[in-house]
Amino acid sequence: MKTLIIALKEIKQALRDKRTFVFMLAFPIVLILILGMALSNAFSGNVELGEMKVLYKDTGASPALGGYWDGFVKTVGQGNVHFTPLGEGMNGQEEVKSDNYVAYVELGNEGIRFYGSTKSTIEDNIVQGMLTAFAQRYNLAASAMKTDPAAAQAVLANASAPHDIVKETALQADKSPGSIDYYAIAMTTMIALYAAMSASSLIRGERSRNTAIRLSAAPVSKSEIFAGKIIGCLFSNLICVLAVVLFSKYVFKADWGDHFGMVFLVLLSEVLLAVSLGLGLSYFFKGETARSIVMIFTQLASFLGGAYFPIGDADNFMGAVTNLSPLRWANVAINKIIYSNELGAALPAIGLNLAIAVAFLAIAIISMRRREAL
Amino acid sequence: MSNVLEIRNLTKKFGDFIAVDNMSLAVREGEIFGFLGANGAGKSTTINMISSLLRSTKGEIDLLGKNIAKNAKFAKSNIGVVPQDLAIYEDMTAYENVSFFAGLYGLRGEQLKERTVEALEFVGLGDKHKAYPKNFSGGMKRRLNIACAIAHRPKLIIMDEPTVGIDPQSRNYILNSVRKLNDMGCTIIYTSHYMEEVEEICTRIAIVDHGKIIAEGTKEQLKAIITDTKDIWIGIKSEDEIKVESLKQIPGVATVRIEDQMVMINSKAEVNNLNQIIQQLIRDRAEIRSVEEQAPNLETVFLTLTGRNLRD
Repeated sequence: MKTLIIALKEIKQALRDKRTFVFMLAFPIVLILILGMALSNAFSGNVELGEMKVLYKDTGASPALGGYWDGFVKTVGQGNVHFTPLGEGMNGQEEVKSDNYVAYVELGNEGIRFYGSTKSTIEDNIVQGMLTAFAQRYNLAASAMKTDPAAAQAVLANASAPHDIVKETALQADKSPGSIDYYAIAMTTMIALYAAMSASSLIRGERSRNTAIRLSAAPVSKSEIFAGKIIGCLFSNLICVLAVVLFSKYVFKADWGDHFGMVFLVLLSEVLLAVSLGLGLSYFFKGETARSIVMIFTQLASFLGGAYFPIGDADNFMGAVTNLSPLRWANVAINKIIYSNELGAALPAIGLNLAIAVAFLAIAIISMRRREAL
Repeated sequence: MSNVLEIRNLTKKFGDFIAVDNMSLAVREGEIFGFLGANGAGKSTTINMISSLLRSTKGEIDLLGKNIAKNAKFAKSNIGVVPQDLAIYEDMTAYENVSFFAGLYGLRGEQLKERTVEALEFVGLGDKHKAYPKNFSGGMKRRLNIACAIAHRPKLIIMDEPTVGIDPQSRNYILNSVRKLNDMGCTIIYTSHYMEEVEEICTRIAIVDHGKIIAEGTKEQLKAIITDTKDIWIGIKSEDEIKVESLKQIPGVATVRIEDQMVMINSKAEVNNLNQIIQQLIRDRAEIRSVEEQAPNLETVFLTLTGRNLRD
């Protein structure tokens, strides 16, 4: 009962604290909105391509190639790619440099020479792909012509048939997070980690307010005080985390998937990790040092965990460092649960969170027992 | 009268430093027991051990006949602590503060509500129960500090400097509250830097120095210890011309202090030197307004026994 009284006091104080609302609610919600809007393009799977203008010059050195080329130009000209012959006094390469055309193609004795633009990579790749396909088909037709002219006609007829310029083959599942979805998850896991900051003041705050004297003088055991404070801190931070989840879900329409129970467990274990970490560090370091260290840790973990911008998978040193962030493993687990329905992905994250939480709680308990007062 | 508190051979060491040195004392039921000592004398350490905030290195403390180390919960339930520094939550209302701490002492439901209201009314904050301490004056915060310690009706209340830094009105209120609590049957241990407070309200006093009790008894008993000195207080118009060294050379004079147009001289009782003192002051061209020979007070007793002022 006394544990509950202490827990309720903690919750009451946390919810009355204006800093709680600023740091734990307003800050993540504003960041979801700002980063979600500003970086929406980085998360879009579709790229809008306009008309692609390609300049070409047929030197006439290979009439056969020129013949096939004209058919090719006519066919693709029905789509968004328009081939224009090089005019008098024009320099093909200069035209590409000046961004008037996305590429310049030269048909000569040695085949097809291609000059692309580094400024429009996607368009450049598309045209290159088309030309490669054309060259392969031409080579095939030329070879077939020598042995079976009928087969060559079939190859060429097929080449003239209308077809899509780009065929999309999905390497990832169709469902992937948009920017708002991404930042809703990232900010939620970030504020879950912020629980470490309030936890670092749990006992230190009582000491600085001198109320530690009253608590110690009351007929309450240290373990009751300890448990009450952890439960209160855990609960008040979970309320904030859930508030951000619900706000992002219903106001920003962020996707939290169909397995919220499992997502909640990951978040719960992360808050427990943060509370234990903050509490443990407050016994390690005296005064304001603990709070400063917790602050630096949470900011670093947020940065490396992809709270401010997405962090890709990398096998290098940086990739290894990002994997040390609790935010990283929570984000990966939640994304897999939501977008790949991989419920098992929660287990490594929950396991790591709980193991670290237990370690820091043990440190805090041992340190507390050694102290005469709180 | 039975003993509410009994301390036997209490010692507390911090490394090599001995804060409390083999101290023994008894506080009887219904007493207001004054605990006097300069900073670092060992009184706060003793109080912290009585309140179970510190463990003793050696010795025994019994509360109501039970050893507090073996019956910590019982001891804590029967003690109310008013710490020297304010120990209240500024972000909780006066009612919530008292109710929270009373709850930790096991009060529940209607009883908790009644005792909380009773404690707030006792310290004159009944009409401020919904207010936050951050909006309180220093005196009001001190009173709330007391209310948090009494709602569970402890048998022994330990008040550590409860009137530090407050206005005279709040101070009087608190002193009256202490008397009322005592009338209601509470035994009180009271520490203060203000000697007149201790002299006014305490029934028995212990003087602590270097971790030891160097004197103990009623104020009359303590004053009787120093029958060989007298205090001569001479009111003057101006302090400018007074030569302290000349006064100190007069036979029998031990100490000379000048404060607020008053020359305070402590002298051996058997030496009749009043005429010489007055003549010296006249030579110094002092305009004498009053002459008073005083019986020794607690301040003198403390100064004589410890060799230093209480506020040192």
